[in-house]
Amino acid sequence: MRRRRDLWWLVTVSAFFTVLAFLVYPLVTVLLTSFSGEEKRFVLVENYQRFFTHRYYYSSIINSLYLSTLATIGALALGTSLAFAVARYPLPGKAFLRTAANLSLLSPPFIGAYSWIVLFGRMGLVNRALGTIGWELPTIYGWRGILLVFIVQYFPFVFLLVSAALRSVDQSIEDAALSLGSPPRRTLCTAILPILAPSLTAGGLLVFMGTMADFGTPMIIGEGLRTLPTLMYGEFMNELGGNPAMASTLGSLLILVNTVALMAQRYYAFRKAYNVVCIQPLRVQRMGRARMLLLTAFAYAVVVVALIPSLTIIISSFMPTKGPVMYAGFSLHSYQVIFHMVPRAIANTFGLTALSVVLDVLLGVLVAYLLARRRSRAHALLDSLIMLAYAIPGTVVGVGLIVVYNRPPIILTGTWVILLVSYFIRHLPYPVRSCTAMLQQIDVRVEEASISLGVPPFRTFVKVTIPLMFPAILSGAALAWMTTIGELSSSILLYSGPWATMSVAIFTEVFSNHFGTASALASILILAAFIPLFLTYRFLGERSALGV
Amino acid sequence: MTRVRVEQIVKRFGETLAIDDVSLEVRPGELFTLVGPSGCGKTTLLRIIAGLLEQDAGSVLFNEDRMDDVPPYLRNIGVVFQSYAIFPHLTVAENIAYGLKARRVAPDKIASKVAEASRLVQLDELLGRMPSQLSGGQQQRVVLARALVIEPRLLLMDEPLSNLDAKLRVQIRSLIRSVQRTLQITTIYVTHDQEEALAISDTIAVIDRGRVLQLGKPWELYLRPANRFVADFIGTMNVFQGRVEGPGAAAGEHAVATSFGARWHVCAADTSGTRISLGVRPESLALERGGSGGESWNSLTGTITEAAYLGAVVRYQMRVADGLTITADIHNPDFAAIRSVGDELTLWFAASRAVTLPGETEGA
Repeated sequence: MRRRRDLWWLVTVSAFFTVLAFLVYPLVTVLLTSFSGEEKRFVLVENYQRFFTHRYYYSSIINSLYLSTLATIGALALGTSLAFAVARYPLPGKAFLRTAANLSLLSPPFIGAYSWIVLFGRMGLVNRALGTIGWELPTIYGWRGILLVFIVQYFPFVFLLVSAALRSVDQSIEDAALSLGSPPRRTLCTAILPILAPSLTAGGLLVFMGTMADFGTPMIIGEGLRTLPTLMYGEFMNELGGNPAMASTLGSLLILVNTVALMAQRYYAFRKAYNVVCIQPLRVQRMGRARMLLLTAFAYAVVVVALIPSLTIIISSFMPTKGPVMYAGFSLHSYQVIFHMVPRAIANTFGLTALSVVLDVLLGVLVAYLLARRRSRAHALLDSLIMLAYAIPGTVVGVGLIVVYNRPPIILTGTWVILLVSYFIRHLPYPVRSCTAMLQQIDVRVEEASISLGVPPFRTFVKVTIPLMFPAILSGAALAWMTTIGELSSSILLYSGPWATMSVAIFTEVFSNHFGTASALASILILAAFIPLFLTYRFLGERSALGV
Repeated sequence: MTRVRVEQIVKRFGETLAIDDVSLEVRPGELFTLVGPSGCGKTTLLRIIAGLLEQDAGSVLFNEDRMDDVPPYLRNIGVVFQSYAIFPHLTVAENIAYGLKARRVAPDKIASKVAEASRLVQLDELLGRMPSQLSGGQQQRVVLARALVIEPRLLLMDEPLSNLDAKLRVQIRSLIRSVQRTLQITTIYVTHDQEEALAISDTIAVIDRGRVLQLGKPWELYLRPANRFVADFIGTMNVFQGRVEGPGAAAGEHAVATSFGARWHVCAADTSGTRISLGVRPESLALERGGSGGESWNSLTGTITEAAYLGAVVRYQMRVADGLTITADIHNPDFAAIRSVGDELTLWFAASRAVTLPGETEGA
């Protein structure tokens, strides 16, 4: 029992090494680069001063904050309303509503953005159809389009978290408030919503951070509207010679905004975290026929809108196309083209994603055990560092990795390894979170019982702990897979030559107006994200599969 | 059979001293109980004996073997946990066979041992079930069989009954006791329930704040508590303050003047002039003066402030003097003898029924 340098010590050291080398070091480099002037001089304010005095630069942070704030409000309103409607009222087809709302998480946001262009863009299906009968619709480009995509793509996070939280509110709380003379609406505001506050703010935070970091959506549908990630990409990849210092300045501001949001939510949720014991969940309420119809219409409208992107992509992938114009009919031409033109990208995506998820799960399971069972100050630090990956936008990770690993002694740029590193480090939090949460529910005494029966600690870990953690391992892996496979914001920076991925290929195809091939690639991507999640879902049941 | 010796064990958690220099000996084949309020250190001590927790100082010996550097998986002990700690992914049979497989016992031998152990705890019908299909009492029997089947040197049980309902608790308690007697296995049992401790144990150690306050047979603790804490923790005790005034009426007795002015003759060892605390159990108080065994009987008069009729017993709270309310249990009360709140009552107890509680100062 004396403290030895055992296997767990080795895991701790390698986890620290991994996170420091692939996350912390690149991030610190980005922060430091934002303070570098000409000829690598240290300058304190020059880059930031330039940022805040030139409209070209500072408009990006205003746009980003404005869009993310509105998107957060919109997603909170939509997600919470839908969660309440499904949880509290006898709507028909609840299982469908829940599944459909979750399904929209499967397509990466930039594919959602693209799908709205397919429908409502200049050459959009709807616009052209209406054009033939003489109606002119305003196009979807610009901030309106971004906001629409953000809300539609991100509200399911709020829906998921609030639904889960609602399931843990006991009916007795509402009954108690009502019996104490508080009318229903007041009860909602003073008794139910405060209990949901941690989940509401957590959902809001996911939306805010996700939209702040979203590179693909404004790039595709924004038509030149500058946000922090798109401008950062532009500054770094500028054809007239990149400006790493300004890109790093933008990246640092992005990190700052997201970190402040994260801290604020943590601080708030920590103070508002209640222990609720739920024996009897909230009752489903009766209501009048007219209100019932209205509510049903609302709920179905929301999920239909959420499903439109995926459906549009899949349907349009089977349509004959000419550039951005699609015609009615059925054709496999787009698929023939992609399997002929970009088979490598498809192979790259599947290979790199699979490898990255395997590594995430391997390290994630071991680290989760350390965090849950042998927590020390060092492990708490490790936990925070790993969770940092949640808050850091892919664009920033990409720039950081390039800056650090494009010079001796280690050169990773131009290889597939740098893509793998980015995927691996950015999605490590999923298995770590799911497994830590699971371990906290597994009685430590079960492991002690095994040890006392003569099975040494590591064999106990393999024979008892891992089987018990299996659901969490599976759902962590499914989430990591789903989010890795469509990753664009760092891939677009890190890929080179033969190592383009499907997301990069879709992006390029959209920009070269090859909508048919873009749709075909996106369909494969959506399906590839869907299948593992579907299997997990079938295997574990709804709750655990998406228990973020 | 294993003799367990705990020698000068010390364990700290940060600033708090969880185990404060504890030494004790568990005789081979006996059921030894650690009892005390929650947080007293009893589970900590059990976990140190199991090797699941490392002591800061001191030693644990099984017979002559020093266990301090032996990891828990090599100590060959059976542990039964409060939360059952059943393996939820294994069937009942696989749960029971778990420790045997770890010891690489031949498969046919495992089968016969599992069958034997499950018969012992009356589980043979349920071997193919998963734990989620079992009741709490059945789960508890599975983990008992799982701990026993490996033929451990020692059986450790940490509040094994606290998650069961009252009826089942008594059932499993007697099952544990009979299995333990049959197998003659040295057992250390942790509980916070003094009644359970009295019912099941050969020897009891009362623990408070990491120290052993008294160690002895159940009746020794109950009838001769070493101090006020043990007196209160094991059963209920009425405590009176007094001063020894001289020799009493009968041989071995002393006359005592109580703080509220009564004069009693009790079997106290103290000499004249000293202050003493006297303890009298509620059931030692009777409505009438007892027979003529030669010892003195003392009386106590007061007003009933609460009366709880429990069938076999009436429990009175009676105010004897300002600030002094006592509890009296009258067994098998006669219809005519039932009193109610506000009535005045005189009760009697024999001189030998009062125990001196040392280390007690007035007003404590």
